[in-house]
Amino acid sequence: MARFLVKRIVHGLAVLWVVITLTFILLRITPGGPFDRERRLPPEVMANIEAKYHLDEPWLKQYGRYLRGILEGDLGPSYKYLDRNVSDIIADTFPTSALLGILALSFALIFSLPVGLCAAATRNRWADRGCVFLATLGISLPNFILGAVLIWFFSLKLGWFQAGRWGQLSSVVLPMITLGAASFAYLSYLLRSALLETLSEDFIRTARAKGLREINVLFKHALRNSFIPVLTVLGPLFAALVTGSFVVEYVFAIPGMGRFFITAVADRDYPLIMGVTLVYTTVLVCANLLVDLLYSLVDPRIKTH
Amino acid sequence: MRMAQRFSARWQGNPLLLGSLAFILIVTLGALLAPLLSPYAPGGFDEKRILENPGWDHWLGTDELGRDLLTRILYGARVSMVVGFGTALIALLIGTIYGSISGYAGGALDNLLMRIVDIFYGLPDLLIFILLSLLLGRNIAGILIALALVTWVRFARITRGQVLQAKELIYVDGAKAIGASHVRIILRHILPNILAPILVTLTFSVPAAILAESTLSFIGLGINDPYSAWGTSWGTLAQDGWRAMRTYPHIIFFPALAIFLTILAFNFLGNGLRDILDPKAR
Amino acid sequence: MVFLTKRGAFRHALLLSSLLILASCNPFSRGRDEKTFRVNIGTEPPSLDWSLATDHVSFNVIANLMVGLTEFDKNLKPAPVIAKSWDILEGGRKVVFHLRDDVTWSDGQKVRAQDFEYSWKRLLNPKTASEYAYILFDIVNAEEFHEGKVTDEGLVGVKAIDDWTLEVRLKHPTSYFLSITTFEVTYPQRQDIIEKLGSKWTEPDHIVTNGPFLLSSWKHENEIQLRANPNFFLGKPAVEQVEMVMINEKTTALGLYEQGQLDFLDNHSIPTLEKPRLAKAPGFRHVPQLRGYYYGFATDRKPFDDTRVRKAFSMAIDRSVFPKILHGGELPATSWIPPGMLAHNPKIGPLYNPPEARRLLREAGYPDGKDFPRVTLAYNTDEEHKIVAEAIQSMWKRNLGVLVRLENQEWKVYLKKLQSDPPHIFRLGWGADYPDPDNFMKLFTALSGNNNTRWKNSRYDHLLELAAREMNEQRRIRLYNEAQRILCEADAPIVPLFTTAETTVLNPRYTGLEYSSMGRLVLRHVRLKESIQSPPPAARGRDKSA
Repeated sequence: MARFLVKRIVHGLAVLWVVITLTFILLRITPGGPFDRERRLPPEVMANIEAKYHLDEPWLKQYGRYLRGILEGDLGPSYKYLDRNVSDIIADTFPTSALLGILALSFALIFSLPVGLCAAATRNRWADRGCVFLATLGISLPNFILGAVLIWFFSLKLGWFQAGRWGQLSSVVLPMITLGAASFAYLSYLLRSALLETLSEDFIRTARAKGLREINVLFKHALRNSFIPVLTVLGPLFAALVTGSFVVEYVFAIPGMGRFFITAVADRDYPLIMGVTLVYTTVLVCANLLVDLLYSLVDPRIKTH
Repeated sequence: MRMAQRFSARWQGNPLLLGSLAFILIVTLGALLAPLLSPYAPGGFDEKRILENPGWDHWLGTDELGRDLLTRILYGARVSMVVGFGTALIALLIGTIYGSISGYAGGALDNLLMRIVDIFYGLPDLLIFILLSLLLGRNIAGILIALALVTWVRFARITRGQVLQAKELIYVDGAKAIGASHVRIILRHILPNILAPILVTLTFSVPAAILAESTLSFIGLGINDPYSAWGTSWGTLAQDGWRAMRTYPHIIFFPALAIFLTILAFNFLGNGLRDILDPKAR
Repeated sequence: MVFLTKRGAFRHALLLSSLLILASCNPFSRGRDEKTFRVNIGTEPPSLDWSLATDHVSFNVIANLMVGLTEFDKNLKPAPVIAKSWDILEGGRKVVFHLRDDVTWSDGQKVRAQDFEYSWKRLLNPKTASEYAYILFDIVNAEEFHEGKVTDEGLVGVKAIDDWTLEVRLKHPTSYFLSITTFEVTYPQRQDIIEKLGSKWTEPDHIVTNGPFLLSSWKHENEIQLRANPNFFLGKPAVEQVEMVMINEKTTALGLYEQGQLDFLDNHSIPTLEKPRLAKAPGFRHVPQLRGYYYGFATDRKPFDDTRVRKAFSMAIDRSVFPKILHGGELPATSWIPPGMLAHNPKIGPLYNPPEARRLLREAGYPDGKDFPRVTLAYNTDEEHKIVAEAIQSMWKRNLGVLVRLENQEWKVYLKKLQSDPPHIFRLGWGADYPDPDNFMKLFTALSGNNNTRWKNSRYDHLLELAAREMNEQRRIRLYNEAQRILCEADAPIVPLFTTAETTVLNPRYTGLEYSSMGRLVLRHVRLKESIQSPPPAARGRDKSA
């Protein structure tokens, strides 16, 4: 177990390092710099700014400086938000994204369970078809369209929920649904397939033959085994939802971190882009590790080696 | 042969599959024949017909420059279709080759190649996609390459898994014993066996690419040149419409519907194909 | 039994969702607080440190927190604020400001001349690395200090003679210098606060200001709250509180306004196509800005190295369509200096004349656009730039028979391309730092770092030099007229298209909001109307789609 953990952590750190390096290189070769303006800055002004942020140094030296910073826990200054550094910005925005992401994921999990169950367990062709149809519908609906429809209907027409002004309950519901809808659909589908497969296996038939009540068969035996494929996708899904979605944050005016994957690129705010990428990859690595550990809980047959 | 039989047998029982296929064909034909189907040009500027509601002259209404929306959607289908199929095919090519090599070679090479795939999974998709599209330029080729570079890993993983399974099968050993070359083994013995899951993945990759392109367009980084053969992508049209949602719902509704229905059709097709080709992995 | 399970799960789901709906049914839970005025500023202000801020969002917050030596009056002339008077000495090479002695910082200390000296030197200090450092380069030794050639701060020509007297020495007579003192980057700063707290000094707990409002909270990426400064020396503002929210998406912001959750919207918050509908609402206004919108030609590339081709392209544009497609009160322009500025002259520039344009094109060797090379019109990605480009593309096709290719680039990629390899035709805008024609016209001199057309005309450059030194207004106007004729008619390296305007909507219950032609939002005179009879702005169901 300990060896497994150490191995996975080392592997995770290696992934992090490569991701940082790749992003660093990609950013430097992308045309346009952080201080390019419509009104071009006089050369001496530009020189002072570049000196302040060490942008006049060779790339390798900047790279070394950045890595050293990370090791010391310093993600650097933001080139755009001059009063704050990247750590401040992430500390301000990540909790919001995380909260919304966790809400959306909970929403997806809570609602996919009955749908998946209903599809697989009722042995009703139409219920099954209906659930698959619903799931496909959910996967096919781009979140910007869903967001627009929800705002148009529930916020503008009915006035039930608010769009924007984050911080009150009524402004949480629509973004939660928008963010969680695709995951909900995907998870339902996955659960259904897994359940169907498990239900056709021998040990279920044995359980049924032994006269176990159907509800027990379903919940005690089938569901537990069907969670494995769900768990597998949960890692990346968790990372994606928790670090924020640009479209959802933009459309619903949510002060989260997901926006920076786009806006910080538009501003060429290198340290901020690196910072949010770092957070994303760290969350992903950790979530995957957690999922691997959970495997052994759900299914004792799987050994963490 | 068996595959073909399975196909025709399942075909009839699935109206959704047939409907989806028909819809995709219609969209494809519409994209190809757009200049013949529509009396209007995709570009232009008609001061007197700005923002008309759907009606007889303009079935789906007109946009902010008085252009026929239906025509723009037809031309826009070209972008979506080319991006969808193009990306999926490029990703398929890179992914299967990569995955086959990795799975077939096994050992240290396999390990290394899969670590690289892990890294690709560790990158935030949208960020990489945007950086690449900035680097490669705002044109069809740039978007295709950027998208393909993000999606190929999916094919690589699946192919590798399938190759590993197939490798265990006895007939590969048999082929080896006869002294067949590696390439021949991969091409003749392994690839045909993994065709089904790859075809299914391919079908699902097309809508994923269309979705990614339209999201990028919605953010404002899409393809737009009304007069060119490429027209304006659906995502760009939807973005124009979103801004006027309250007063002129038709200019977001129809492009959004086009995106949604097309993606839906591909997903249904994928579902159907999976049921037919790979009944175990539902 | 399976059936039962399903029902159970469904019941739970139903219960949960109904709970959520119940809990959130009241969209106005924040209440309609009459004392709070709410505006959307669109995005997080990048900095509230006025030595570092560079953008409108930051300046619009700062301008309500702070005052400086002077401010623009209605005619864009500098008027006294902290400076009660000034003397211009030594033929314009020395300016002495006399300060009021009753202006206080929010911590009770007096605002003194030393605070200005510190702030200006901080702006110029190379370590501050301020983008606007160059705005003070007319001061003796300022540029040298910024470049590091002069290291002694004391040599820079700005000095507090005593607490209430600020002396500025200039390199040469500068007619627009007083205008610069209206600019936020020249506002005073507190050395003790900034040196103690470093970059954190702009946080609400630390910041020390002297203006009509005080910063009470700053929730990043979300909202800023201001409260009226009871000790403001020009009188406490009428509204007790101001909420500045950061909603990037226009449609979302407009929705909130119509639900009564916002009191003021500007271009940040109004989608182009909603403008015609809002134009009928009370409180709607277009405010022309000192900001020009133009297309430039790469004059060193074929076919635009030929003046006739450039003129033909300029004449083939019907500029009257812009307000019709952009709906924002844009003022079509054929000349470059915008209305509201000295030497504005609408008579200069080519009129819309397709036959003449075709004739010029034929003369240049392209009858009806035949054999015209493939050229590209580039713009940076934006809804409005796209509409303009598409309309002009269509007009050129119709009037000249030339089909140009459109290319849009992400902003920074676009800027890079303009520097390294300008496209045949490109879009740009220009806003005034200070409202003087010098600022607009200098853009296209041979030495200007922002002249992407690569056009050079020594006569033009010479005229501008003369005009900058000329103190007589009438003679100055004549010089600018001649220069504008070269720029817009004779040589036509650029096609001026229109002067932009800001579309604003103010909740009709309020009055007194000022939006300047420089894009500043001034909230200090905002107050509720006497009779609160007018309907709320919500007016739901006004949309056509209902």
